[in-house]
Amino acid sequence: MENIEFDASAATAERDEEAEMENVEFEASEIEYVSYGGEHHLPLIMNLVDQELSEPYSIFTYRYFVYLWPQLSFLAFHKGKCVGTVVCKMGEHRNTFRGYIAMLVVIKPYRGRGIATELVTRSIKVMMESGCEEVTLEAEVTNKGALALYGRLGFIRAKRLFHYYLNGVDAFRLKLLFPRSELHPSLPQMADKYDSHMQSDHRDASFKE
Amino acid sequence: MAENRACEAPSLLPRATIPSGDNSFWADVSPLLDAACQDLQEGELIHGDNFNLFAAMSALEIMDPKMDSGIACTYYSLDEAIENGVAPVPISTDKTTDVQCVIDIMDHLLACEATWHKGHSLAQTVYSCLYLLRPERTSSHALLHSYCKVIRATCKTILSVVSEARTHEEEDLFTMAYGLPLSGDGDEKCLSMLNAVEETISRQLRACKATSSKRRVSEDIEPLQNNPDLEEGYCKSLLCRLRFRKHFYHLLTSMKRPQGRGLELARKHIASCISEIDHIQKSSEFLRENAHGMSEQNIDNTTASGCQPIGFDASLNCRLSAPTPPRSIKILCWGKALEYFLKLLQDLDVVCSYSLDPSLEAALLFVVKFQKSQPDLVARAHLQLLLVQDGKLYGRDPMFSMITRAAGLAEVTENHEIQKNEFMVQLGQLVINLLKILCTNAAWQRRKLGKMLQDWRVTYVQLEMSFKGEFEEASKTSNNKKICFKIYQHILAWVEEQTYWIAFRFLNLGFELELYSVHDYCMVYWYIYVVLIKLAEKKHLRMAMNSDSAKKKTKKKRDSFKDGEMDYHIPAAVLFLQSQIYLAEGLSMMFAALRNECRIVPLQSPFNTEHEIFIQQFELLQKACVPDHISYATFKESTMHANFSTLAICDYFKEAQRIAKEVKSSFANDPDTMAELRRVEQVAERNSIALNVCRAGALDPKLKISFTFCHHPFYATAIVKRS
Repeated sequence: MENIEFDASAATAERDEEAEMENVEFEASEIEYVSYGGEHHLPLIMNLVDQELSEPYSIFTYRYFVYLWPQLSFLAFHKGKCVGTVVCKMGEHRNTFRGYIAMLVVIKPYRGRGIATELVTRSIKVMMESGCEEVTLEAEVTNKGALALYGRLGFIRAKRLFHYYLNGVDAFRLKLLFPRSELHPSLPQMADKYDSHMQSDHRDASFKE
Repeated sequence: MAENRACEAPSLLPRATIPSGDNSFWADVSPLLDAACQDLQEGELIHGDNFNLFAAMSALEIMDPKMDSGIACTYYSLDEAIENGVAPVPISTDKTTDVQCVIDIMDHLLACEATWHKGHSLAQTVYSCLYLLRPERTSSHALLHSYCKVIRATCKTILSVVSEARTHEEEDLFTMAYGLPLSGDGDEKCLSMLNAVEETISRQLRACKATSSKRRVSEDIEPLQNNPDLEEGYCKSLLCRLRFRKHFYHLLTSMKRPQGRGLELARKHIASCISEIDHIQKSSEFLRENAHGMSEQNIDNTTASGCQPIGFDASLNCRLSAPTPPRSIKILCWGKALEYFLKLLQDLDVVCSYSLDPSLEAALLFVVKFQKSQPDLVARAHLQLLLVQDGKLYGRDPMFSMITRAAGLAEVTENHEIQKNEFMVQLGQLVINLLKILCTNAAWQRRKLGKMLQDWRVTYVQLEMSFKGEFEEASKTSNNKKICFKIYQHILAWVEEQTYWIAFRFLNLGFELELYSVHDYCMVYWYIYVVLIKLAEKKHLRMAMNSDSAKKKTKKKRDSFKDGEMDYHIPAAVLFLQSQIYLAEGLSMMFAALRNECRIVPLQSPFNTEHEIFIQQFELLQKACVPDHISYATFKESTMHANFSTLAICDYFKEAQRIAKEVKSSFANDPDTMAELRRVEQVAERNSIALNVCRAGALDPKLKISFTFCHHPFYATAIVKRS
């Protein structure tokens, strides 16, 4: 009933509704998901985000996220090429321990195949295991793809933020509430749901706050 | 200066040097920076006590035009710009050109003003005009000078209205005016100056018309500009613009008069403004045809002539705008600016037409209706200031008497001691806040309404306890006790009714704001249903208490509302709610049935369940126990057995339709409620049909069901199609 369009960017300022003309053929199993492993991944992430967003961030913004929370950032590779990334953080916010999704990008030819969902899911899983009570992010109200993606993962549109973006577009604050263990004594094991394609690369970050 | 009138738009001139000051000089630090760069390895960062990664995010990259506002500046300072002839006075020694340029400035200023109203800063919009930044410079040019004065005075007035309303948190760029010359000397006399200029141009117009008809003209007056063929056109173009500003300023000052005393006069000025806008629009053909080729084409189309206006530079103010470098904004085009002002005038006209009915209910209904036309910040701020002034409704009616009146206690005098009760005072404040919040934009409003629920609930409990205490005072006579009891009962019932009214609005605003996905509709309609039951109950209670003869009916059980008989004792207002109760319940059950019959695929999130969604959606309502004894468990209990065959037993939609139809006649002189009932009827009817189709084709996999809000803003209509 709801037309579900897979489209990845959570933080894009511009929406491109074109049909995907240069779609790349690939099998889902050909996508390699990697946890942020160090400085060598930083330019890959930056290039992806710069490419897709009209307002690039300074390098310090990326460093803030990937240095303090390397375990929350993931990259997706296809045949050695970086095709997608997610960048997040978590921390205490008004007495709740909360995760925040800062950037999510998948390059156009690879959209519509679940890569963004997989990236986000891996990050949320780590947040959940780290004790987060909820996860939040903002998305433009016109970003149907992102809203559908997060909606499927259990996010609700908690608030509408009037003219949040300087171009006058409103935003939704999306929130995912994890079940509180006292309400759900028998939660299905989340780990069972996913293949262990994920390569956990937990090298120490060179800078720790 | 006047000879070298700058006619190009300011371009990126390579600046020779920024001059050193008296106590400062420039030193080249490139070698130092080079050395520092060699010293740091990739990935290293300087640590400091007050410098960490988070702080580093605010770093600016020097010479990046998106972050380093200095690099994109045309001129270092206003003085430099003026010295370079960016805002010459007069604009041209050729009078015709001068007039053309002034009109372009007027048009561009209007576009800037509309852009400001839409939510940008003054510095980047109206005050990008250099003529406004140095008021004294234009004193030799009467037309430009008087126009600038009225612009400043207008902006100052509007700014004060919005600031006073103080409910613009999400639109806070609007009130930033630090460092801007909002008041020029003698701006209050702007209208007399403007009138003088208008008078002169009127005479010039008369003169040129007389000349063209070969009549002798009595006075010898210098024409506005050089070309006799164009004199009439330019006079008229200027006159309508000047008159618009005059009437607009009058409108604002009239509306500012306390207790709505100036509203009728304001409406007259609104009509004049609208008429002048029409003339302004019609002038564009003439202005375009005779546009001087001296200026670049105005790509942003902010002027009627299509020419670039002289004397504007948004980059000069960038340091005044905000702590962070401002992003560049797009000024509205001239056509859209006029559209904006027309809408503003229409919205203000609605505000000015309000009858100031001394009734809280009327005020609340008026605001809710007004908000349906989606008025912008300026109109909403004006409404708010009209409604609430000095803690009184319309600045005239004390909140205490409005509350007692709304609670049906007409005979309670203003001097009744109950108004000194601290919780009654608190209640008065809650009502004031409610009125103010209802004037804000829908997104902000919903959040505040939700947060307000706890305050209303707590106040109810406090009032109840306080009344009980006062009631039990031994010193009261038995007659006194009877009166007190009546007052307490009425007020408490009214407070509860208001609380549920707020809850209902909170829930249905979610549809307007697109906060709910289809997967949420079942629980949202279910919650609306339980809230409406309480609202109807409380309203009925209050209305029953009001009628002297009626004994209080103990219709406490919610099933009593579903009795097939129409109880003629039930007031029409309650029946109106009853039809919506059936509609909401029907919708909730329909969505539940669709899910239980696998027509809607339920959300299967890997991270949470429907329970968490419920908790989040209704967190504020649950916290405030609005209503009590409602939980996810009760929701599941009500909906998990819904399917098409059980729905055949109780046809909620048919009931909703029937009641709506029958109660319409009671609202014959209330067109708004009539329209609302018609909409409810339509939705109920269509959903009833859709449900029948679903029932009949229950096993047909080709049936496609979708939902639309085209018949009602928050009650959905199902559309069933065979694919």
